Amino acid sequence: MSNDQRQAWFARVMESGLENDIFAPSDVLAHATPDVLASHLPPELLSKVLSASLAAGSMTPERVLETVTPDLLAKHLPHEVLWQCIAAAAARAGVNKTVGS
Amino acid sequence: MHRRRGCTRGGEQDGGLVNLKAFFVATLSSALDLGIAVPEDVIRHVTPDVLAAHLPRPLWARLLTACVGAPRVDAQLVVETIGVPNLCEHVPAQIIWNCIQELGQRSLAGVVMAAPAAVPSSRPHTMPTSSVSRPIPLATPPPPPAAEPRAAAHPPAAVGPSIPLPGAAGDAEVDGSGRPRMQPSQRFRPSSTGIGRLATPPSNARRPQAQATPSATPTVGDAAPAAPRVKRGQTEADFDLETYVGGKDDWKNALAVEDEQLVDWSATDETVTNGDEIGRKR
Repeated sequence: MSNDQRQAWFARVMESGLENDIFAPSDVLAHATPDVLASHLPPELLSKVLSASLAAGSMTPERVLETVTPDLLAKHLPHEVLWQCIAAAAARAGVNKTVGS
Repeated sequence: MHRRRGCTRGGEQDGGLVNLKAFFVATLSSALDLGIAVPEDVIRHVTPDVLAAHLPRPLWARLLTACVGAPRVDAQLVVETIGVPNLCEHVPAQIIWNCIQELGQRSLAGVVMAAPAAVPSSRPHTMPTSSVSRPIPLATPPPPPAAEPRAAAHPPAAVGPSIPLPGAAGDAEVDGSGRPRMQPSQRFRPSSTGIGRLATPPSNARRPQAQATPSATPTVGDAAPAAPRVKRGQTEADFDLETYVGGKDDWKNALAVEDEQLVDWSATDETVTNGDEIGRKR
């Protein structure tokens, strides 16, 4: 599999997880911490996140993910981080007893 | 045990698993579409035993029908026939998740982590199988096209027989090089059918002899004179016939009489006189 395919798949999984309430934006940011975001998101994207938050007056996980979409998450963040989020959600749903470490 | 049951079943009854199934469907479908997974990956977890235990009978009937009619039964056929939504609907979520988990770990292993020992072996193992399994259903259609050209090949063969008909006409033409002479000569024959007794045996002998004489007569009469010379040739042929048949003198006399009769039919004095003169000269 190519990196593009893998990236597209993780993006789709993250999108589906959010759409189906498998995990919430807060769950995503629990793994994609500010440190992770700051380390991996490009400057222009960090700028957008900050601008949107400044315009809204607050920075919430939902607003962050409005800017940093699943596609961008899969593009910039380590897939390991995304997978931890997915696996943790599966564990909460009761289908995964061993949360991926 | 109790807790586990409570957790899982509680999760299933929450309606949370309804979303979970949709999540599974999207995850598995996209994995298959993107080449992250191959049907073999699914069947490795959703084994025939699992299907037997959880798949409803109507879906089993559909699967069996597809398998019976398929040239080859493989994981792709099974997964495509049942469908990812049905798999995620009926197969326990834990099993589907195990499949997805394997895909995720394998995917991560390819990018970030050092690949586990089992992972790389499964990749090359699955990749070729996928490449093998996919073309197969595609390969099945070609046979019909191959059959079509065959079917198409028959019509020409059927047309072929029609060709011989013209070919036979061509044969008639070939023979006709002599026959045009013969047809008019047939005009004589009926008239000379009085001589008809001779007609059959000499007819076979007439052609070669008639050809032999024109060759001696040269090709003078080959092209243009065909029609007019038919008459002349006819007279000549008759004359030859007379000579051929006519080892007997009686036939010569009889032929001479018939030429006069021909003059009466054509009602042209010239031909009569010419034919007589030519015939007699030659």
